[in-house]
Amino acid sequence: MNAPVKDRVAGRPTPLVDGIEKVSGKAVYTADLETSDCLTGRILRSPVSHARIVRIDTSKAERLDGVAAVVTGADCPHTFGVIPIAMNEYPMARDKVRYRGEPIAAVAARDARTADQALDLIDIELEELPSYYNAEQARAPGSVLLHDDKAGNVEREVHHEFGDVAAAFAEADLVREEVFTCAEVNHAQMEPHAALAEYDRERDRLTFHSVTQVPFYVHLTLARCLEMDTSRIRVVKPFVGGGFGARTETLNFEIITALLARAASGKVMMRLSREESFITHRGRPDHHVTIKIGMNDGGRITAVQCQVLQRGGAYAGYGLVTILYAGALLHGIYDIPAIKYDGYRIYANLPPCGAMRGHGTVDVRHAFEQLIDRMARELGLDPFELRRANLLKAPTRTLNDLMVNSYGLPECLDKVEAASKWNERHGKLPSGRGLGMAASHYVSGAAKPVHWTGEPHAVVTLKLDFDGGITALTGASDIGQGSTTMVALAAAEVLGVDLARIQVVCNDSAITPKDNGSYSSRVTFMVGNAAIEAARNLREILVKAAAAKLDADPEDIECAGEAFSVRGSGQSILSFAEVVQAALAVDGTITTKGTFTCPPEAQGGKHRGGAVGSTMGFSYAAQVVEVSVDIDTGQITVEKVWAALDCGFAINPLAVEGQIEGSVWMGMGQALSEETHYIDGLPVHANFLDYRVPTIVESPDIDVQIVESNDPLGPFGAKEAGEGALSGFPPALANAVADAIGLDLSFLPLTPDRVQQALIKARRDMKRRKVS
Amino acid sequence: MSAVMPEFEMLRPSTVEEVIAARNASSSARICAGGTDIIVNMRHGLSETGTLIDITAVDELKRTESDADGLHIGAGVTLAEIAELPLITESYPAIAEAAQTIAGPTHRNVATVGGNLCLDTRCLYYNQSHWWRKANNFCLKYKGDICHVAPQGNRCRAAFSGDLAPALMVHGAILEIAGPGGPRRVPLADFYREDGADHLTLAPDEVVTTAHLPSANGVSAYAKVRVRGAIDFPLAGVAVACEKLDASSHRFVVAVTGTNSCPVAIDVPDTLGEDQDPDAFFSNLNKLVQKNVSPQRTSTTAAHYRRLSAATMASRLARQLWSA
Repeated sequence: MNAPVKDRVAGRPTPLVDGIEKVSGKAVYTADLETSDCLTGRILRSPVSHARIVRIDTSKAERLDGVAAVVTGADCPHTFGVIPIAMNEYPMARDKVRYRGEPIAAVAARDARTADQALDLIDIELEELPSYYNAEQARAPGSVLLHDDKAGNVEREVHHEFGDVAAAFAEADLVREEVFTCAEVNHAQMEPHAALAEYDRERDRLTFHSVTQVPFYVHLTLARCLEMDTSRIRVVKPFVGGGFGARTETLNFEIITALLARAASGKVMMRLSREESFITHRGRPDHHVTIKIGMNDGGRITAVQCQVLQRGGAYAGYGLVTILYAGALLHGIYDIPAIKYDGYRIYANLPPCGAMRGHGTVDVRHAFEQLIDRMARELGLDPFELRRANLLKAPTRTLNDLMVNSYGLPECLDKVEAASKWNERHGKLPSGRGLGMAASHYVSGAAKPVHWTGEPHAVVTLKLDFDGGITALTGASDIGQGSTTMVALAAAEVLGVDLARIQVVCNDSAITPKDNGSYSSRVTFMVGNAAIEAARNLREILVKAAAAKLDADPEDIECAGEAFSVRGSGQSILSFAEVVQAALAVDGTITTKGTFTCPPEAQGGKHRGGAVGSTMGFSYAAQVVEVSVDIDTGQITVEKVWAALDCGFAINPLAVEGQIEGSVWMGMGQALSEETHYIDGLPVHANFLDYRVPTIVESPDIDVQIVESNDPLGPFGAKEAGEGALSGFPPALANAVADAIGLDLSFLPLTPDRVQQALIKARRDMKRRKVS
Repeated sequence: MSAVMPEFEMLRPSTVEEVIAARNASSSARICAGGTDIIVNMRHGLSETGTLIDITAVDELKRTESDADGLHIGAGVTLAEIAELPLITESYPAIAEAAQTIAGPTHRNVATVGGNLCLDTRCLYYNQSHWWRKANNFCLKYKGDICHVAPQGNRCRAAFSGDLAPALMVHGAILEIAGPGGPRRVPLADFYREDGADHLTLAPDEVVTTAHLPSANGVSAYAKVRVRGAIDFPLAGVAVACEKLDASSHRFVVAVTGTNSCPVAIDVPDTLGEDQDPDAFFSNLNKLVQKNVSPQRTSTTAAHYRRLSAATMASRLARQLWSA
């Protein structure tokens, strides 16, 4: 209990405190929970893309021996959805089905085989309607509406103009416009979806375990859909095997599992297959980005005009936030005097899209960073110099009223430029090999939460007891990103105690304080600040106790490395144990609390949709990608990546490094090989053979550098680290490919067949030009 | 959607005779060695067998022997073993290289030579869950009436996707097959037919026991066209063997997988002699391969790409072997 703490803990590379369970296989994930007394849940899914439900007859299934419950859309007349003003989805379809794979009914039975037999016994009669699989068809005049209240199948239109765009284009020396297309992608998190629900009929209580990133939203949604008081529900999040945004909203299978448990008055385990996890989707939508940029001869951007068309799938989900982000995050990275944005989120008969790492910005950043690279080439400017000509100066507020207090992009650019030996090598590599670069940014949490209640954005409580152990209670959802470790580090740093003294208890609504969840990279900034405040409050109590014992003024007490003394006195050092004892003697077990609330000035502009993009601080990133391209097979090999990220301050540099590598790697997947494929709405990609996540063979050496701009409001100066580097990868790769083979490719992913086709077309065009 | 494993009985014979007897006893019984293909297919509801014959206890299938006639590889030898066996890496490099490209290390540790040679054909309309295929009215290969890849045709176009077959073919492999009437031998190319729903000429009561390879007299290589450097099945796979006939002339043997419902042996009529322009020769070889393969829309990657890349790889490998 008295081992001295030698160094600061924050800023020191620290293995994740919950890592041992994961690497030793001891971690219990939702699907691993005890199921000996469980019923098995299975879902009946729509075989067609768009149809009116004429009749559902479950009577035969209900009569099957071993079936405990059958539920359908009739059992839940309540819509759900993460955005309170856009909830248009039922856990099981009621009037219509709108995509292949949409849940229609579900069964809880004694085992999976019986449940499957029961699903086969459910009779459904459907009257098919025309289906639309791309945004153009869906919004064509005369198309049948997926949702009666959404004319033209447009879920949300956004039209924002800041500055005098027409005048700013007129001032430009060079104006270029291009269209970029980016295929839909999925999170492909390692752990398939699962939920465990137990309903206690005598007490009317529901205990619910799930793979979620947002237990609080799940809690609210279960209460709404099951018409239960929130106090009767307990939501627990066990270990989660990856999220990436797939689980930042309540998902249909979660509500269905709870409905089954209640209907069966029992415990139901629902484990979705990989295919079902893909169908549940919520990935990044297919994008058409039309972008026009004006520049002067020196590379200074005068104006940007951007139109984005997103194919959002069959339901709203996060859609309106995604289409707003796509426009809002044109701002906040460069100093641009005029920006016009027109966004269209379109419904289609496909699984609903949602939030995915780099939510809203990735495909637009891809278009932007490629187009400015092409323009730099035309102007004879170096890509780094072009970005440097357009830097912001912090502190500042952007055109759309976003707060920028810290800005490490210049240093990120310097670092990757030097590390990659850009100046010596760019443009000088042999044919077929190339270097490309891009910059990117991301929010450190949405400053205005989707459920606006006026409560603090984050709360952490600490408990100190007779054993000298400190328990941190947090609702922050660790999904592998390291938030549990971050809370422990923040508290240990403030208290000056050994990290091992702290245990973090997470995500049990009966025990831990509410947290909005792990999305929009909010946790380090908000929960970190709350943890710091809670630790300061605890420290104050300990210092007071030490002061009383040493008969000194609390302001004269020095507390370092678990030892308390009177400043300058050099004698009577109290151990941590002694101080704890003294403090407990006053009032018994000690609990303290810390909270964090985003100040109003961080919460964005007053224009409609102005809250989206608003944040406490942006992370900034720059990266250089080196590729080689096989000009016969179109195969791209990523040889090396240099990435630098400004995360304000690295509370845990080891985790930050991992997050940057993960961002680069995920961006690489989207850039090279990942995409969804549907045949008449049937997902062809719903397995790990056809959804081509890169393997270790494709994983390049990644040189990671951390830039610390010390955000004035961040916890110890920290900002987010988990998303900012993603959106720079695809454009840096495409720019490198252009450098390698002299072809500007405006599509994602850059699969070998598409690259080969582009090479063949370019050769044909060149031949034609020679002939004429 | 169904990920429920159907119930089945597992037999574990220890001799080839017992394997044949077990196959005789149940016409739907299927052989299982590493299980890396059949178990996945069973989970997808693609096989309704009630009996699996586990052959991993049949020791005589697990031997690799070399004698004056050449090399004899047992059907139960694992891919990991043949990828590293010096007898193979030194004299039949295409076979070791092909084995090394298959799936991932954990698959290769259990997957076998016989399993890869008898691999089921693959198609994006076939390798899907029961829910998926039912929603798509099934297909010609299994439970359905039409081939969604080529609806106007009358045969299944699913692609043979084993990597080993072309590599064994360019080395002149002969398969030994055991059956109730005793063993028979068949050139590997004749073991297959161009029908995705029925691509093996193997009777229900037979089992592949050995691949016989004549002594190697040349060099060989294997190249695999795929999006990722691991896990993926071949979009196309090309094996080339090059034999030096005399001081100045070379003969090439080419076989391709992944493009048709069976592996395709490509007859290269000319030899490359001293008086010939090598560029023209390899360019002709490229065209020859293009002409002889017929990839279909069985994968999400464009068929045309698979044709061109197979041809590119064939001429590239041939040139590499020739110039080495």
